[in-house]
Amino acid sequence: MNLDRRSTLATLAISSALWLASAMPAAAQPVQIQWWHAMGGALGERVDELVKNFNASQQKYVVVAVNKGNYDEVINGTIAAYRAKRAPALVQIYERGFMTMLLSDATMPVQDLLDQRGYKVEWADFVKPVAGFYSYKGKLMTMPFNSSSPILWYNKAHFEKAGFAKPAETWQALEKQLYAIKQKGISACGSVLAGDYHWSLLENYSAINDLPYATKANGYQGLDTEFVYNKTSVVSQVGRIKKWIDDGVMQIAGQGLSPEQLFTSGKCSTFFASTAAHSGIEREAKIDWSATYLPWEEGKQPKNSTIGGASLWVMKGQKPAEYEAAAAFLDYLAKPETQVWWLKATGYVPLTNKAYEMAKSQGYYKEHPTREIAILQLTRGTPTANSTGFHFGNFTQTMMAQRDEFENVVAGKKTPQVAMDDAVKRGNEILRQYEKLNKGRY
Amino acid sequence: MAKPEAGLKRAHFKDVRLPVLLLLPQLAILLFFFFIPSFRALGQAFFLSDPFGNTVHFVGLDNFAQLLQSDTYHESVKATVVFTILQNLLTIAVALVLAFASDRVIRGRGIYKAIILLPYAIAPVIAGILWAFLFNPAVGPLAHVLHAIGFAWDPNRVGSDAMILVILAASWKHVCYDYIFLLAGLLAVPSSLLEAAAVDGAGPLKRFFSIGLPLLMPTMFFLAVMNFVYGFFEIFAIVDAVTQGGPAGATNVLVFKVYVDGFINLDLGSSAAQSVILMIFALFMTLLQFRYVERRVSYDV
Repeated sequence: MNLDRRSTLATLAISSALWLASAMPAAAQPVQIQWWHAMGGALGERVDELVKNFNASQQKYVVVAVNKGNYDEVINGTIAAYRAKRAPALVQIYERGFMTMLLSDATMPVQDLLDQRGYKVEWADFVKPVAGFYSYKGKLMTMPFNSSSPILWYNKAHFEKAGFAKPAETWQALEKQLYAIKQKGISACGSVLAGDYHWSLLENYSAINDLPYATKANGYQGLDTEFVYNKTSVVSQVGRIKKWIDDGVMQIAGQGLSPEQLFTSGKCSTFFASTAAHSGIEREAKIDWSATYLPWEEGKQPKNSTIGGASLWVMKGQKPAEYEAAAAFLDYLAKPETQVWWLKATGYVPLTNKAYEMAKSQGYYKEHPTREIAILQLTRGTPTANSTGFHFGNFTQTMMAQRDEFENVVAGKKTPQVAMDDAVKRGNEILRQYEKLNKGRY
Repeated sequence: MAKPEAGLKRAHFKDVRLPVLLLLPQLAILLFFFFIPSFRALGQAFFLSDPFGNTVHFVGLDNFAQLLQSDTYHESVKATVVFTILQNLLTIAVALVLAFASDRVIRGRGIYKAIILLPYAIAPVIAGILWAFLFNPAVGPLAHVLHAIGFAWDPNRVGSDAMILVILAASWKHVCYDYIFLLAGLLAVPSSLLEAAAVDGAGPLKRFFSIGLPLLMPTMFFLAVMNFVYGFFEIFAIVDAVTQGGPAGATNVLVFKVYVDGFINLDLGSSAAQSVILMIFALFMTLLQFRYVERRVSYDV
């Protein structure tokens, strides 16, 4: 056999193999799409289960869930992939990234996608504060996925020992209880400062007490919004937290230790944190714990709290079949059965009223009363412009500036008023930069 | 070109093709991981852009102007300078003591060296978490010791405490690097000189300070530059694990600020402008090293 013949044979073999591969019936191959998410640990396992259930429920599509790290890493990965024109079909982006995604021109509204593909989703049935947060001009832009709200977790034994049935409803009364617990030597610290305290103790504090956080209905009515929280009792709230920390009633966990550990180990008596902490606290806690609503200011009628968590965005630049697959998966997610499974598995709030009713009728909240607190708190009363939610461009950046100034208060370098004035000033500059970039696009 | 040196080098590489071939892989890596990103950063620094890149405004030098006016940037520069200088002093001092001591010991010298070199093998993040935990005011054993002796240690609230913690962690991680160079330098001190001094009645400390230390000076200059580079560019993981730049920006060193502004705040223009400034500084340090330090280092002891 000479060289020529050998190479001809090889070419023949390769080309026939290629021909065979291309001639395989395309219809039998399910369409595969990627979903990048930020759910690690126990929540990551639930996501894998969710995707497995969807893939098993039909033959046409395969969703591949990829954990890309934390929320910051997912949004960065998405940006890099989009710029390289290789964005996945679905990405999970935290709620603070809403405006960034909305005006990025890189996404497709989920309501349009599902309506165009003929899926009958009852958009009106979505829980109001959840849908309100992720809507723009009356349309749901992104599929809410893991929504949560902060609640007050407490150590039952500590409160009973101090002679209280449960934490008080107002900040003023709760303060007296926490000081009593400290003075009686029942616990080393009354409360532990959660990592996302700006969400629970400043933003939700404003919503619940019906205080304006920024102009233009907290950014819902335009990009020319300005922060005004330095003119409300957010300032005295910052002062209150500082006083608690000074008096040893509140502890900062710091790096190298999660705040949750200080609560679940029984060292601290209360913890203001997301309802999504349920899966972790149920697993870790060696104490008899319970939870209740976030406190409000004395003499106020409490409003609803607002949500945190993340939602699923559909990225532009996919093939029609991939959009088809994304739509099918999102439709599956919105189904009450999927919702009920998800909320039971994780502790997040139901996204639709139907799912909520279904879980309730199954007696789920009777068995797990603390898991109902967040949804009850979210749907309490009629939302006002102050409690609908927060739509700020560069939201993460403004929040980081606020954190920075808050730390100045805790360090004793600035008074709460000066620090919040500075935070508002820095925040407004960041908002102006966003406005300049996106002029006329909102 | 000085003739003898050049002649020696030419003798090894008469043909230009082999050295080019040998250099190519390294150049390719530099091209893709350094030059292309650097030029993109340079470009980005003049734009205000949406992170996805669909809306881009040319803003000229605005990003730089904003940085130079920004209080947080000034504080970041200050924190970086304080950090690098203190870290430098501490690292070299400790490495020098250790090098001197292990040069003196005879029995178990290898074991001591291995122990001293160990931290270099530990990932910076792990080292950072370790230190953060040891000095955590709520649960850290070393923090308890400090509290017990009446020191109100709290890096979560007090900026200077946080800075001390980062300096300790960073120095601990870097001491071994300096130690190796200093030990090698000490071993290279001609024994004839030391013996002569010993005969004249100089004790070990006297010999160290009047013979060893002066001969180590070029090495120390070199290490000082390397420590500056370490402090400016490689400290990211430790700051991230120990303090996250806080409290109130007290440990927000430049390289960490670049990361936060770029990857968390998604303010790409400002982040790029900061990288450009850092890059210029790196160039300056490199020039300094070649111009002043490299010249004084004598390699043929």
